[in-house]
Amino acid sequence: MRRRSFLTALMAGAVAPRLGWADAGSPAILGAAREGDGGYALFGLSDRGADLFRIPLPGRGHAAAAHPTAPEAVAFARSPGNFAIVLNCVTGQVLARLHAPQGRHFYGHGTFIADGEILCTSENAYDSGEGRIGLWSRREGWRRIAEIPTHGIGPHEIRRMPGDILVAANGGYRNHPDQPGVKLDVDLMRPNLSYVATDGALLDQIELDPELRRNSIRHIAFGQDGVVAFGMQWQGDPAEGMPLLGLHRRGQGAVLAELPIHEAMAMQGYVGSVAFDAEGRHVAISSPRGGRVQVFDGSGAHRQTIRREDVCGLAPAAGGFFVSDGLGGLVRAGQGVEALAKWPGRAWDHHLVSVEQGNRGAAL
Amino acid sequence: MRTLLALALLPLPAMAGTPEVVNDHILPATDRFATAAHALADAAGADCSASALDAPYRQAFDAWMGLSHLAFGPLEQDGRALTVAFWPDPRGLVARSVRGLVADQDPVVDDPAGFAEVSIAGRGLMALEQLMADEVGDYECRYARAIATDLATIADAVQADWQDHAQLMLDAGQDGNDRYLSAREADQAIYTALLSGIEFDADQRLGRPMGSFDKPRPKLAEAWRSDRPLRNIELSLAALRDMAVALSDDPIPLTEAAFDNAQAQVAELQDDPRLEGVTDPTQRLKIEILQQRIRAIGTAIEGEIGGGLGLTAGFNSKDGD
Repeated sequence: MRRRSFLTALMAGAVAPRLGWADAGSPAILGAAREGDGGYALFGLSDRGADLFRIPLPGRGHAAAAHPTAPEAVAFARSPGNFAIVLNCVTGQVLARLHAPQGRHFYGHGTFIADGEILCTSENAYDSGEGRIGLWSRREGWRRIAEIPTHGIGPHEIRRMPGDILVAANGGYRNHPDQPGVKLDVDLMRPNLSYVATDGALLDQIELDPELRRNSIRHIAFGQDGVVAFGMQWQGDPAEGMPLLGLHRRGQGAVLAELPIHEAMAMQGYVGSVAFDAEGRHVAISSPRGGRVQVFDGSGAHRQTIRREDVCGLAPAAGGFFVSDGLGGLVRAGQGVEALAKWPGRAWDHHLVSVEQGNRGAAL
Repeated sequence: MRTLLALALLPLPAMAGTPEVVNDHILPATDRFATAAHALADAAGADCSASALDAPYRQAFDAWMGLSHLAFGPLEQDGRALTVAFWPDPRGLVARSVRGLVADQDPVVDDPAGFAEVSIAGRGLMALEQLMADEVGDYECRYARAIATDLATIADAVQADWQDHAQLMLDAGQDGNDRYLSAREADQAIYTALLSGIEFDADQRLGRPMGSFDKPRPKLAEAWRSDRPLRNIELSLAALRDMAVALSDDPIPLTEAAFDNAQAQVAELQDDPRLEGVTDPTQRLKIEILQQRIRAIGTAIEGEIGGGLGLTAGFNSKDGD
């Protein structure tokens, strides 16, 4: 009741407080989904899997970026994206529609830096294929203020490390908006993981060995003590069962995590999401094509296989992971698998996004 | 009351025949495979010559084709499906594993518990085929017995575990069922296995030996040394048809017609059991037609069964990035 009258007052413009995530119900995670009627929406979910808010989207979402403190989320279309919209998660209001400038398209991921004042979007400068990070000023009404290179071809996920270092997964192959869904120059792939300063300077970069160059580095998660996990997609024969997860610390070489051969083959050469648990101890990768989540310890040793049909979304949970799938299921996987919610008819899209833990506060 | 009535009159998707699939299709297939695997083990125990194993090997592989498409549940535990038949094998792991054990005369073949820990590429039907391709001496004989005994053990475990898994599928959506959170998830698992099985026949069992026109790869066909490439497709299609009919409560004339078309084309190819015709332009065309007709089954299933049950191929698995 209190919340409702507060919202009414807010929407009437009677008060204009500084909103926090608590005002949106303190969601633990955000996820985009297709609903039973064929429409799309962005949802805020509690750590028990309850719906806290639902905001309609104009098309299929891929991932979202959550502002570190304000209840604002940026929803990205699938690559090659024609929309990124900034949403107020309390009112559902569209705060801004971001359009990639001429010659650029979005790659479906983004992150905030500068205490949430600047949004970074992964982009393709598609005439050259070079990766770009678009920088957008929240304070200036989401104006595009600059762009910096990702130092590679075909970036997908970018994430912020402490100290506003951007980590970019440069997938290695090109795309062009005239040929949606087509991977170009696969034979020339040289994927890399790049650490980029906000002025665009390259701080560190790793490449895989030449025989692994068809392994497109696409998704990133952060664990303890600066470890970066990266999920890959093998652009060769899926039956070869190539490694699909790497762990890296700056200044060191990457460690590739091995699976038993049958589990490696079952992943179909495809990882859709990667996440550490909330403690940063275990890391998980998902394959919707294999219907599996594989969990590893911090050294890359395989610990557990979780079977879920059409599974993809992963986010950190205490002692485990939130796991979502295309059949509307949301489970929490740790020691065992605990069903949190099931929404037959709702199809969770590729990614779940954590709302930063320290910023959630108590529920209203 | 009026609302209830109105709701009842809404066109609802047909009920999926998950109980029929489990009881009439899956469980009998696991029984047949267990029986055939034991017959192979018994035969190997008595006489491990290639000629003595020929018939029971064929029967065991035939029985395996009745459930090889069930890529969910007990067959995915510990890589059982690939342990029974390690294929496709682009890295040649079966040959490498078998030759490695033989070269080392590894005594692990005399220890059933130890053998169960051997690399899965060195076990199962494909390893046995590889082993029988060379001269069978004393070591190969003991190795063949180990493979056959191991297969029987796996078949027993699959049979027993499917009894439990059947209950999980039938109780889908009940409290405490963390494997299938809703009935829809159980339906979807079967539906996905059905479509994946069709895709596997077209893209892998046919696609791998077909390679490209300029570079056909007949030696990449499944179990070609045992003359099984076409037979496996024939038996797989029969099993998938049986599952499709059980899954749909309504008649599926389009799907059945698509199966008829593909199965008629299999009959056209009976003089080429190894699909070696992929290297011959005229014969290759017949194989391409079979591939197209198998793909057409998938299209018919999606329209007729998927449409009828309100199921679609994976939202995420068919998407990229």
